[in-house]
Amino acid sequence: MPFSDFHGNSDVLHRLREMLARQHFPQAVILAGPAGSGKYTLALMLAKTMNCRAPTVTGGLPDFCGKCSNCTRIAQSEDLESRFAEAVEARDNLREADKKETRLFVQTHPDVLVVPPDPPQMMIKVDQVRRVIETIYFRPAEAKERVYIFSDSAFMKEAANSLLKVLEEPPEFATIFLLTENPGELLPTIRSRSMTVTLNALRGEEVELYLAKHRPDWTAKQRSLVARLSEGAVGRARRFDLAAYTAARQHALVILKSALNTSDHSELFKVTETYRAGAEGRDKTDNLLRTLYSLLQDLVMFLGSGTPELMRNTDIEGELRKLAESADFEWIASAADRLAEVERGMRRNLLRSLSLDAFAVALEKTGT
Amino acid sequence: MPVEAIASATGTTTMEITVSKFELLRELTATQGVVERKTTIPILSNYLFEAAGDKLSLTATDLDLSLRTSCNAKVKKEGACTIPARKLHDYVKLLPDADITIKLLENHWVSIRCGRSNTKMVGMARSNFPSLPTFPTAGVVKIPAQVLRGMIAKTGFAIASEESRYTLNGALMVLKPESMTMVATDGHRLSHIERAGTKFEGVSGEMKTLVPKKAMDELKSLLDSTDAEEIDFAKDESTLYFRIGSRLLTSRQLTGQFPNYEAVLPKDTTKSITVHGDDLAAAISRVAQFADERSRAVRMRLEKGELKLSASSTEMGESEDSIEIDYNGETLAIGFNAQYLLDFLKATGGGDVKLEFKDAQSAGQMRPAEGEEYKYRYIVMPMRI
Repeated sequence: MPFSDFHGNSDVLHRLREMLARQHFPQAVILAGPAGSGKYTLALMLAKTMNCRAPTVTGGLPDFCGKCSNCTRIAQSEDLESRFAEAVEARDNLREADKKETRLFVQTHPDVLVVPPDPPQMMIKVDQVRRVIETIYFRPAEAKERVYIFSDSAFMKEAANSLLKVLEEPPEFATIFLLTENPGELLPTIRSRSMTVTLNALRGEEVELYLAKHRPDWTAKQRSLVARLSEGAVGRARRFDLAAYTAARQHALVILKSALNTSDHSELFKVTETYRAGAEGRDKTDNLLRTLYSLLQDLVMFLGSGTPELMRNTDIEGELRKLAESADFEWIASAADRLAEVERGMRRNLLRSLSLDAFAVALEKTGT
Repeated sequence: MPVEAIASATGTTTMEITVSKFELLRELTATQGVVERKTTIPILSNYLFEAAGDKLSLTATDLDLSLRTSCNAKVKKEGACTIPARKLHDYVKLLPDADITIKLLENHWVSIRCGRSNTKMVGMARSNFPSLPTFPTAGVVKIPAQVLRGMIAKTGFAIASEESRYTLNGALMVLKPESMTMVATDGHRLSHIERAGTKFEGVSGEMKTLVPKKAMDELKSLLDSTDAEEIDFAKDESTLYFRIGSRLLTSRQLTGQFPNYEAVLPKDTTKSITVHGDDLAAAISRVAQFADERSRAVRMRLEKGELKLSASSTEMGESEDSIEIDYNGETLAIGFNAQYLLDFLKATGGGDVKLEFKDAQSAGQMRPAEGEEYKYRYIVMPMRI
């Protein structure tokens, strides 16, 4: 899969490939963009192009073959989630004494190292950066460039400081990619030593086109819904779990309805009861909270701004319109505030079902 | 999926060998040092076994360093497989002294049979194993094994372990047509050893190589256990090669410039004394007990006929030792890190040592008083006391 497989942001792509063509590729690049915008995919594509054994040219710019031993091995890192899960498992199988000192890495090619955030804190730790420092000054063995990809920008403080040292003086054959959803999260001193490249969100129609190609199993209506919900990130759109979203939205609607039309609580309790404690309930709760936000945003589109064409949950427009009738702007504002409180509560490990009940009930009083 | 991976996934590759436990264990033990223990990259904790002709070759790598060795084997079917290194070593250790049969099964499983013991281990596809550089055919230099071993022992301890000074994370090896030099420094002290009189064929001019610390350590343990008289050394753009007997150690090259160490070698020392190394080491160890724990500073005072060593700390008290010396010059007081001095005295192994100074602000130089074969010198920066 050459660069033509990368969807959107063609100007950014063009610029980066031009730098490759002129051999003026920066040694440290911050790839910024929303989740699913293709930061990781792009970083790997660039790593392949730097190291491809049979480099090709498309549209006058360097490209990679995708078939040589370097390309295929780098490509094995593409499924980061699986590689990450394998690494976690490998660590779990180590002896107790070694476990503590072992940090996670994904390396399917000897010269391309992917540094994922280390669980359970899910942050990049100083030992991971140290490993980068220890190895980066060794000349590449099978490739031309050593490539380091930090897949997340949540650095422990010490780790970030340690990274600064390499960024000051990286060897000429090394390139460091820092992927981030929010460049502001990185130290200003790291940002000043790197070049920031931003991948922008795509327009809804573009995402729809992309989905038509990659998810033919969805109906046009579903594709249009996903395109609107994925906020312009094709990666997120492709992986979008429509079933989970629809389920979460059903629950979100029940909660909102129960808050707005205080008749019967039994349905509310039936729903919130399913949000149990424990790790497996976390994703479900996160999904629900996100969906609640998105419904609230759609309600705002109806009410405040009078721009119903911007709403995202187009398929349930009727229901939302009905909800909007009994809500007002203040109610939505207070609901958003309370939702933020619930989110904070989740981080403190409050009981999920109770927090959601409290959320719905509290809105009744301030509402209608 | 690459073609090789498909081939091995469908089980078209085979391997079957018989090898003596003694020989296999010897090679497994020799390569354990290179196998990464704390890694989440699964293939790096595996050995690559390759059987061809009447040999089994074993390879371990941590990507920066790789070690390839071989032993005699009856090869029934040529082929290759990978086996978890640590488990295999632990298991083979426990087997009786007899022949072991290793056979590649489907899906990268490997069967290991010995007498009445039968084990199957889960390997990985051979194609996952990093490809290994091959020993160059040209530009091979022969280095006497014991010379190299001695030089590593006398310089290795001075290599920096600081992450920020990467060019110091190795020793510089300089080969000239008729001499060999090794230098290591961490910025506070420098160990320099030179040996002339050995002819190095194939070396013209000056051949400078930065040998990474990890490679030095591994090289030393390989040299400790070899009876080979000479080793083969070669390098290309990215890799260093050391062939010790039937074992081949390869290391990726470090980038960067080793500091211009010649500039710091003291040339105009004016005061010089000779003391017995063991006496000096004993005295330093004693007073160092009372040195400040962080700086480890001990004070040296040269007086007429006497070398006084002292240290003091506010919590522990103070201590002084004196050694009789033949000295008639001016008095000089100078401070050093006790550990740095002890490292050198340990490496020289007793015997008389010569200490040379200029003043309290200049580097001190130590060297063995005797020994024509090697020119060994050790330079230590003084401390403010």
